[in-house]
Amino acid sequence: MIFSIAWKNFSRQGIRAALNVTVTALAMIAVVFNISLYNGFQAQTTRNMIRTDVAGGHYRAPGFDILSPTEWEDFTLKIPTALKDLPPSDKAEVLVQQGQLFPNRRLYPVQMRGIDINQTLLDLPLEGLKSYSGKVNDIIPAVLGIKMAQKAHLKKGDTAVLKWRDQYGVVDARDMLVVDVVTMVNSRVDEGVLWLRLDHLRDMTGRPGEISWVAVKDFQGPVAAMEFQTVEELIADILNLIENDRKYAKIFWIILIFLAGIGVFNTQILNVFKRQKEIGTLMALGMTAAQIVGLFTLEGSMAALLSVVVALILGTALFAWFQSVGLDISHLSESTIPVHENILLDIHSSEVAATLVIIVCVMVLVSWLPVRKITRLDPTLALRGRAIT
Amino acid sequence: MDSIVKLDKVIKVYRVGDEDFAALHEISLDIEPGAFMSFVGPSGSGKTTLLNLIGGLDQPTSGSIYFENVSLGNLDRTALAEYRRKNLGFIFQTYNLLPVYSVYENILFPLLLDGNRESAVRQSVEDIVASVGLSDQIKKKPAHLSGGQCQRVAIARALVKKPALILADEPTANLDAENSYQILELMKKLNHQFKAAFVFSTHDEKVTKYVNREVGLEDGRVRWDKRRNGAGSLE
Repeated sequence: MIFSIAWKNFSRQGIRAALNVTVTALAMIAVVFNISLYNGFQAQTTRNMIRTDVAGGHYRAPGFDILSPTEWEDFTLKIPTALKDLPPSDKAEVLVQQGQLFPNRRLYPVQMRGIDINQTLLDLPLEGLKSYSGKVNDIIPAVLGIKMAQKAHLKKGDTAVLKWRDQYGVVDARDMLVVDVVTMVNSRVDEGVLWLRLDHLRDMTGRPGEISWVAVKDFQGPVAAMEFQTVEELIADILNLIENDRKYAKIFWIILIFLAGIGVFNTQILNVFKRQKEIGTLMALGMTAAQIVGLFTLEGSMAALLSVVVALILGTALFAWFQSVGLDISHLSESTIPVHENILLDIHSSEVAATLVIIVCVMVLVSWLPVRKITRLDPTLALRGRAIT
Repeated sequence: MDSIVKLDKVIKVYRVGDEDFAALHEISLDIEPGAFMSFVGPSGSGKTTLLNLIGGLDQPTSGSIYFENVSLGNLDRTALAEYRRKNLGFIFQTYNLLPVYSVYENILFPLLLDGNRESAVRQSVEDIVASVGLSDQIKKKPAHLSGGQCQRVAIARALVKKPALILADEPTANLDAENSYQILELMKKLNHQFKAAFVFSTHDEKVTKYVNREVGLEDGRVRWDKRRNGAGSLE
């Protein structure tokens, strides 16, 4: 009986019930959306790093540090056979050397990064280099990322003087031709980087068969004279950033849940407040306190469950649409965070479940608490609408 | 005749701020089965407090109230709820109908609370709706009824489970003169028909013309207790 009365009460409240359900559903959607956007940002950051640079880890010359350009020349070595024999889909040989570019009579220190042009492990748009022969001529073909091109004021087809030192310390210089300007989702392989063919860079610097590192798909076991750096080590700074970001995201999530809870509490308490006289009437008609508390808690539970259904329907539609467009973060193009494409949501079922459960619990709790309080007071107070003020 | 309700030196004191306010002073009286009576007096005289105490909605500070020789003071909250459900009908000044329910459902509600199946009591509900003259309004919700019609629904709701006692708090206070007379006529008729005792609280002189007994209250004390036969237009 209580169930059918509760359903009748709930389903016939019209706009009040609709408002209650809508507010709660929107609160659920907002909380899940926010945390999923954070997740998406973090997941894409990590994925881009792995896709464009890190792969499954690097075999590096011991002591090589990408942040110490003046030492790059001291940490190259011949590629070991064990790595050289890997197919192009499983490894990418990389040689990094210091250089100086002189676009429009300005000096621009660059990282000359030579990469095996046949590799398919890293997702880098360097097709522009493939049409050139393996022997470097008077003009050195190079591919630039958009950010690099913008900062150096270069565009496709432009030339600029490129200066470097070979393995004996002899300075050499030649014209560099921009054969392509490409979009790089990872700014770390864009800004300050001049992408060259590996065979060209080896030829230019007199380092045949040498590498700074070899990115591999999977760990190949210990390799003599090289040290293996895991994905976690290579993106430690990003992971630390994400870890800190995640802490703030969790705090923000808790704040949002709290705000959503207050919203739900406010709506529910207003609902109960408006129905005080009804509660008093039910007491006068002979309903016990337990029946009344059960009735209102059941109504609150129905509203909560319907809110979950509405949130799932609206949320699915909203999230599906959002996944088709993403969040444009082009305004972050000056940052070094390796995400430049639109951010998509990364929805974790555990977080969705936690959000829904918490809000449902809040809703049921705020249906139960004030009514319980009212039923413990004199029915006359409820009849006069003064049980809760 | 045995009384249905007996009040024995009932005192009710409210705490208002830092001070005690005595709403009722040692009230003792009996109410007979089938009575048609009113508590009369100005605002603050204790009429509504007395009805609430008899209805088990409030507890006396001291003294005892008996319903059919059972002391309400010995009943816990759940037992009091059962007492109200089994024995009482309430009629309120502001009708207190459940707003989302139709006329039919409002009247059906107390029967469902009593554990009846709707199919078993449908005819009883329709009969009482007919007896308060609202058959053509049976599917309407309270918001679509006039004040007089709402009060008729409230009366039907109070009577449908055939209680021994109906407590009506200022039942005509929100009605115009014509509707007040119609409601009083109706209650008088139903008092005869159902043999339930009707106890009003009122300061409406129209009501006092209809009742068989008038208990006058002032400052929480009984000032007069007048009985008369042939009151009201039905007699």
